[in-house]
Amino acid sequence: MNLKKFFLTSIAMGAALLMAGCGGSGEGDAKSGSGGGSGGGDASGSGGGDVSAGPSGSNEVKGVIAYTPQTLSNPFFSVIGDHLRAEAEKNGYEVLMVDPDYDVKKQSEQMDDFIVKDVTAIVLVPCDRIAVGPAVKQANDAGIPVFTVDSKCAAEGAKIEGHVGTDNFQGGELAGQAMIDALGDAGGKVLVLDLKRANSCVLRVDGFKKVINAHNEGRTSGIIDIVAELDGNGDNTKGYQSTADALQAHEDLDAIFAINDPSALGAYAAVEEANRQDHIKIIAFDGMPEGKQAIKKGQIFAEPIQHPDKMGRQIVQLIMKYQAGEDFTQETLIPATLYTKADADQDPDLK
Amino acid sequence: MAEAEKPPLLRMQGIRKAFPGVVALDDVDLELHSGEVLALLGENGAGKSTLIKVIGGAHLPEEGTIEIDGQSVRIETPQDSLQAGIGIIYQEFNLVPELTARENIFLGQEPSRVSFIPRKEEHRKALALFARIGVEIDPGKLCSELSVAEQQVVEIAKALSQNARIIVMDEPTAALTPREVEGLLEVVRELKTQGIGVIYISHRLDEIDAIADRITVLRDGGHVGTRSMEDIDREQMIALMVGRSLDKEFPARSSSPGKVRLAVRQLTRGNKVQGVSFDVRAGEIVGLTGLVGAGRTETARLIFGADRMEAGVIELDGQELRVRSPRDAIRHGFCLLTEDRKGQGLVLGQTVQENFGLPNLAEFSGMGLLSASRESEAFAQYVDKIKIKIVSHAQTAGTLSGGNQQKVVLAKWLQRNAEVIIFDEPTRGIDVGAKFEIYQLIHQLAEEGKAVLMISSELPEILGMSDRIIVMNEGRVTGEIKEPSEATQEDVMKLATQREKLAV
Amino acid sequence: MTKLDFGKLFASLKALDYRKLLSDYGNVLVLLILCVVMSFATVKEQPATSPAAAEELASLVLSENGKGAQVMVLVRGGKKGAGPKFAKNLERSLEEVGLNVVANVQGSPRDSRIALRDHPKDQPLAAVVTDQHIAVFCAEQLPGLAKENPALAQSKRYSPTKHTWPVFLKIDNLRNVLKQIAVVAVIAIGMTLVIITGGIDLSVGSLIAFSAVITALSIDHLGGTDPTTSHLLLGSLAGVVACALIGMGTGGLVTVFKIPAFIVTLGVMFIARGLAFLCLEKPNGLPIGNEEAFKWLGSGADFGLHNSVVLMLILYVLAHIMMSRTSIGRYVYAVGGNPEAARLSGVPVKRVLVFVYLLCGLLAGLGGVMTASLQMSGDPKAGNLVELQVIAAVVVGGTSLAGGKGKIFGTLVGALIIGVIKNGMNLASIEGKKQDVIFGTVILIAVLVDQLKARLR
Repeated sequence: MNLKKFFLTSIAMGAALLMAGCGGSGEGDAKSGSGGGSGGGDASGSGGGDVSAGPSGSNEVKGVIAYTPQTLSNPFFSVIGDHLRAEAEKNGYEVLMVDPDYDVKKQSEQMDDFIVKDVTAIVLVPCDRIAVGPAVKQANDAGIPVFTVDSKCAAEGAKIEGHVGTDNFQGGELAGQAMIDALGDAGGKVLVLDLKRANSCVLRVDGFKKVINAHNEGRTSGIIDIVAELDGNGDNTKGYQSTADALQAHEDLDAIFAINDPSALGAYAAVEEANRQDHIKIIAFDGMPEGKQAIKKGQIFAEPIQHPDKMGRQIVQLIMKYQAGEDFTQETLIPATLYTKADADQDPDLK
Repeated sequence: MAEAEKPPLLRMQGIRKAFPGVVALDDVDLELHSGEVLALLGENGAGKSTLIKVIGGAHLPEEGTIEIDGQSVRIETPQDSLQAGIGIIYQEFNLVPELTARENIFLGQEPSRVSFIPRKEEHRKALALFARIGVEIDPGKLCSELSVAEQQVVEIAKALSQNARIIVMDEPTAALTPREVEGLLEVVRELKTQGIGVIYISHRLDEIDAIADRITVLRDGGHVGTRSMEDIDREQMIALMVGRSLDKEFPARSSSPGKVRLAVRQLTRGNKVQGVSFDVRAGEIVGLTGLVGAGRTETARLIFGADRMEAGVIELDGQELRVRSPRDAIRHGFCLLTEDRKGQGLVLGQTVQENFGLPNLAEFSGMGLLSASRESEAFAQYVDKIKIKIVSHAQTAGTLSGGNQQKVVLAKWLQRNAEVIIFDEPTRGIDVGAKFEIYQLIHQLAEEGKAVLMISSELPEILGMSDRIIVMNEGRVTGEIKEPSEATQEDVMKLATQREKLAV
Repeated sequence: MTKLDFGKLFASLKALDYRKLLSDYGNVLVLLILCVVMSFATVKEQPATSPAAAEELASLVLSENGKGAQVMVLVRGGKKGAGPKFAKNLERSLEEVGLNVVANVQGSPRDSRIALRDHPKDQPLAAVVTDQHIAVFCAEQLPGLAKENPALAQSKRYSPTKHTWPVFLKIDNLRNVLKQIAVVAVIAIGMTLVIITGGIDLSVGSLIAFSAVITALSIDHLGGTDPTTSHLLLGSLAGVVACALIGMGTGGLVTVFKIPAFIVTLGVMFIARGLAFLCLEKPNGLPIGNEEAFKWLGSGADFGLHNSVVLMLILYVLAHIMMSRTSIGRYVYAVGGNPEAARLSGVPVKRVLVFVYLLCGLLAGLGGVMTASLQMSGDPKAGNLVELQVIAAVVVGGTSLAGGKGKIFGTLVGALIIGVIKNGMNLASIEGKKQDVIFGTVILIAVLVDQLKARLR
């Protein structure tokens, strides 16, 4: 029967697909077993004494670092991942990267799998600061150290060995300073596009306001006035809508601070539509390629940028210290740096 | 004559088809000449449907040859069958209700390339086809608006449009009124004169008498014989089919009706049922008849609570009942054996035992749990008592023949000890042998003192079975025949076609 | 004797109707094939941590260092897992062969460092016996530590042998698979019933979130951050009952107003998800207190298996009994097979339909409580797209979307198939989008096998 043949072929194809899939990204697994003291209880330092030397070969894999961010489709997290991988491999560790696609249940199941695989350490960007807690505790119970990057885990009792993040408050201050530079002595009216549900974004606005308030202190003219704080939802669409609304309410708007690149780009679209792009200055935050490109084109005035590359490398450094049993500071905040048109013009990554 | 030299239009030889556990056809031969009507006879389950499916390419036989005009052909798919010039009109039509008659006829024959459908030409062709069969149907009418008989004609026209030279009709008159049957037979005669070979399947021996040239009889998957109509009379026909002779079509009995059990008064729902009143006594079989659309089935559904009545009273043993759903009716001891067994009587995907148990589960349950063994024991009694032919209790209901399905439905109601039993077309689609058994069962029920209401459009059946006949037309009772044994079919038809009530 | 048995066996094998076997258990076959594929795909060299491996290691240490030598056991450890067990086995084996175990450290590399540093300087440590993780630490750090503590100068390092074994087949992993499907499988019971009646329920994913949020809110309301067990039970009951009521409403709309189930449940899906978000001020989940008690359902394991899995199995047995041995089960099949025939046979069709949607909602609510317990919070984002997994489990399990047919345990097998694919692909480190492709393919294959079995009949 034709159908039977078809069925058998598809099973074979399915199996082949599976195998291909495993082969493709699972090759690391095969390597991981190849090093290490294999053979009947072969004591690595059987020579005794201080000859009990270090790793027996340079290509020996010491363990696996597992990475589960919120998603790998966001370049920010994949850049962290790439640098994490490079740094880890340099130190003799292998990296296992998975994508929970913003689903905390999926992320928790991935953590379960990491535990079964008995990985060396887990690097986590929680999809939900609370709900990921039990999964972290399971890892704790299994003795696997958990590190967070970018966002923290806020679940009670979940033990995090180390955290690397951006200093968002300091970044906000940079943004505030950039705003002062942009508006100059004349001051002006500012719209803030925020994202209150993200802790990191709240910190950015706080830092921003601190600098602006300090600037306004004791001044009678040239005051920078935050006339509206609207939800930009961190995305292009909402950023556009909120800005368009604000432009209706405040025709004399002078500048916008958006807490990330997508909402800033949405804001620019609204400004351009109102034909105010020559007047209204936009300060963003992030450092995504699109954002940098917009700075180069002069659409965005400047933005504090995060350093996912540094974050990826830094987290591996923390893990190395943990593995060596050394003391280390539990939280590392990487300062944001201001990125302006001058930087964009010299940026080799931008064409 | 040339007949002898000319190979037959269709010749099937040594056809064998087995399904797991059952041989459906074994060494069956069949010959059909052009311009003749061959009646295919046999009890349900004899293998007629399987044979048709072999011709139609739905089943591939394990053994045997098929020749058309002396040329051996292989029919493996329905397309092969169409190509070979075979048109099959199944009991369930293959028409799309939302398309017009014309569109249905030419469905699947649209121009292969992307282009507009030549509507006018199709319209003309459709009219020509209808004219060829000798009927008048507007090709632009939606199929859903056509009567059953008209839909059948559309099916025939569809087959002809595909140059069919062999037309197979499976129970074509099952859902037709007597007048429509006459029209159909006329169509078949017309086809005959045009040299088309017709294989005609029906349980109605009257029709066979009227139209067939020869008969081929199957029994239990085997070929029993082929006879010319001139050489055989009706008794012999029946004897061939059932393998024994039946003295009569209807069993004899003496009735002695008791007191009134079921009384309905002024039942009304819309214009389908308008003020219908009648009684059924204990031990009495009351026939309810009329033309299609007279409101017989609707009346039964009102009594059974399947539809909500707008006005009227139902009394059982002098007590007025509140019947708002079939559940209520069943609780009061009513049961309804529907006309449409597949659509309404049985859950075809469930086993016969499960179907049997459906209204009786409370009886077989203890502490909330069903006892399959108690259910099975109870069912086994009926399998014995009313001779239900099944392989096992776990056989799905859909695989049974019509007669056996009817018996399963009957068994489930008998188990409920129903007091008022309503049969709606109890023998539709059921073969002669099984019919007789059903009649015997109906008699038996009456003798046990139950009130039996039997709806039927087959006049011989109504006249032969009933103690009293109630005739309806257009939602009203138009007459009552108190002595059916002395009445004729014409008497019934007269009542069934008149508007006002008359007593005969 | 044996010959006779073989003869019998052969005869009984021949007597088996393989077609029927395949048609009844076609998806079990798919499951087994999948398990085999996943086992091969996840074969990996890994350290032996069995008692036997510990004994072997102990005898090696003994033979190289002699009786009475001082050894230290260093293993990475938490409260549970393989580490502490291996450490205990090691210690026992080492002491049995007459070695002197001066310390047995289960903890982080830092704990090992402290233990080594604080080892008495005048008692030469002959050997450190470690697991694979601390082995890396020792290889790198022992030379340095030896400079601070001369007792370590002669210490040899021992770590376990490696053996090859599929990660998929590790007991812990199989337990994980079961744990991961528990929520989907429990809801799939209700979905099976709904689909047997010819309906569908798209709202279950949202009901998970709704139930989790209602549960968390109720617990918060009753007991604040430190609720008692009865608060937890009442809160969970609130979540389950709320969803059961929603399910009843769904059933009512489907039966009374004859709106197609697809439309009704699509509406309910949006409403329930929206309400879940509206009930909370923040989109983040609401934490639930009294972790020790509340996590019992989601991640506790009192019977060898996780409690959620035990609950799932119990529910399946009950559902199986209901569907095969009670009137309501029979009615559900009858309504799905032919509603009109069922009605005319006295089956209370409307009540049956309302019941199945109610049950489906109730089980979705239970799934929500299980999720809340797993995550220790009421998360309005929970259960996203779970309805599709549930439907997939039911369909892969052999239930016909046309209604009338389906088996409860088939659904469990369907859920297992889905769980095994997801778990196996994660273990084999297949990238996310590839996983989607394979997942879809396997679902189609499973349904194809199901179709094939109908033809084999």
